[in-house]
Amino acid sequence: MPIINFGGLLNFAEAMEKQDMEFYLSIASNPEMSDLSDLFQGFAKDGKKNIAHIQRTRRENITEMILEGITGFFRKPFVLEVKDDKEMGRAQILKYVDKMEARAIAYYTEGAKKIKALPEVSMALKVAGKKRMAHTQKLSGS
Amino acid sequence: MALPIMKNYINGEWVESNGTQIGNIKNPATAEQIAQVVFGTADDVEKAVQAARKAFVQWRETPPLTRARYLFRIKDALEENFEDIARTLTMEQGKIIDEARAEIRRMIENVEHATGVTTLMCGYTLEDIAKGIDCTGHRQPMGVFAGVAPYNFPGMVPWWFLPYAIVTGNTYVLKPSEQVPMTQTRIFECLDEVGLPDGVVNMVHGSKDVVNAILDHKDIQGVSFVGSTPTARYIYKRCGETGKRVQALGGAKNIVGIMPDAKLNEALPSLVTSFFGCSGQRCLAGSILAPVGEAADLVVDRFVATAKNIKVGDGLSDFTGMGPMASSAHLDRVLGYIEKGIKEGATLVLDGRDCKVEGYPEGYFVGPTIFDNVTPEMTIAKEEIFGPVVCVVRCKTLDEVIKLINTRDFANAACLYTDSGTAARKFKYKVLPSMVGINIGIAAPMSFFPFGGAGNSMFGDIKGHGQEIFHFFTDTKVVIERWF
Repeated sequence: MPIINFGGLLNFAEAMEKQDMEFYLSIASNPEMSDLSDLFQGFAKDGKKNIAHIQRTRRENITEMILEGITGFFRKPFVLEVKDDKEMGRAQILKYVDKMEARAIAYYTEGAKKIKALPEVSMALKVAGKKRMAHTQKLSGS
Repeated sequence: MALPIMKNYINGEWVESNGTQIGNIKNPATAEQIAQVVFGTADDVEKAVQAARKAFVQWRETPPLTRARYLFRIKDALEENFEDIARTLTMEQGKIIDEARAEIRRMIENVEHATGVTTLMCGYTLEDIAKGIDCTGHRQPMGVFAGVAPYNFPGMVPWWFLPYAIVTGNTYVLKPSEQVPMTQTRIFECLDEVGLPDGVVNMVHGSKDVVNAILDHKDIQGVSFVGSTPTARYIYKRCGETGKRVQALGGAKNIVGIMPDAKLNEALPSLVTSFFGCSGQRCLAGSILAPVGEAADLVVDRFVATAKNIKVGDGLSDFTGMGPMASSAHLDRVLGYIEKGIKEGATLVLDGRDCKVEGYPEGYFVGPTIFDNVTPEMTIAKEEIFGPVVCVVRCKTLDEVIKLINTRDFANAACLYTDSGTAARKFKYKVLPSMVGINIGIAAPMSFFPFGGAGNSMFGDIKGHGQEIFHFFTDTKVVIERWF
């Protein structure tokens, strides 16, 4: 399905952050990942902040003067199947985490380009994406 | 399950009307009944006005900064319930959820602007107007004001007036549109949370009887109205007879000119939003597209191609680009205009009449509709259609566009797309409408600028919001002092 407008773009971002946050909360208490528990707790907290940031953007950065449609942007490449970490091994979990971060960064990068007509929204997406980039750096250092 | 019934809000309490006429509220995307409203009576208006009168005594003595603090609380309550209000709006009015969000945003912006009361309500002073005599102009609140709201912007429009009325020390009675009363009811639930003194704001649902009771009430100082031109004229006249202040905003027939030098790639998305945003049910919507000279063919072709791709559907879906008409009666009205356009000989290049939306067989949908080769004399080029129907009137020159604009009955908004400063300057200097867009298709003044048209689009002199609204809601008392 295409993402055709401001609300659709931010709603997808919110859903993505929620899905990721829930996964991070789950793996933070997974005994298999106990050595990385604090890291994932932190990622979940970032997710919560990103959700608030996206909701605020959706409320505050909308104007009917520039409520133009978005073209050529599709959900499919950014959809990630919801996984149950209890049915996954450590390696699988880490691989999935990498996938989550990569898709979030890609989504925010592409989304920021697609909504350039609303520069504050574009900026907000870049800010959210930056947080996810920091995750990948932390993961590679862990 | 029992349907919710909208109640009046009088003297800080939710109360039932003594009226007997019931209105059924329907979701325009599904035609499903979602609520009911009891139409109030003159008796309900009387109770609301008496509550507002009583509240005025102390409220006017409340320091302006304290009054502004109530608005900060109102803003917080509205932000907290933002998404829920927007969804309620879409459900009862039909506009897409992003449009509903934009509307609620604009509503809140008026609350924000009104908090500037301590600057914007200030009076002025001049010493020694004669030897030893000083003169001071004080802006004073006047008493009870009232507002009558339209169905197309049920959330925002009442808030072009209400926050300014109360922050300047007046009290208020609002009548929401009887067609879409749920949004304002939801908003008043937020107001109810912030602890405003009882009677400062009141709401009476209803139809013509309530409006007439407001217009005739001797204790109401002024009325703000937004709606159709015939009703605006009626309200203006009747308020004049009863000595009220009045700002009555009416209809529109907005023309969007496109010069051959316009940057079409950049302009196209905003052009499409101008004509089809809110399904054309807004007083700032483009109605006549006036491409100039050799650009016309290209403009029309690309405009039609883009309009074809607009997905019509339920406004609550993220995948919808345009919602339904707000009611079945209005759908019939719009379809009637399309028939009229065909009969009068315009070329129907995009036909939105047989608009089917999967899963919504009963919805009041009409798709984007475009007529080419429309002439200025045709009915569809003269009357307000208030729907997603575009009339293309091809013009040879900019002067022709300006003439077309200045010969319409309405003078609400006009826009021009051009890359020429000279053309833009001439356009904004010469057109009669008082909201002008240059490379903007929706020339919607924000809360800190006045909103309203000229000619038959506006009756009264002070427009909605902006700085001048503080004058509408205050009387300037002049004190001339001499001390021996």
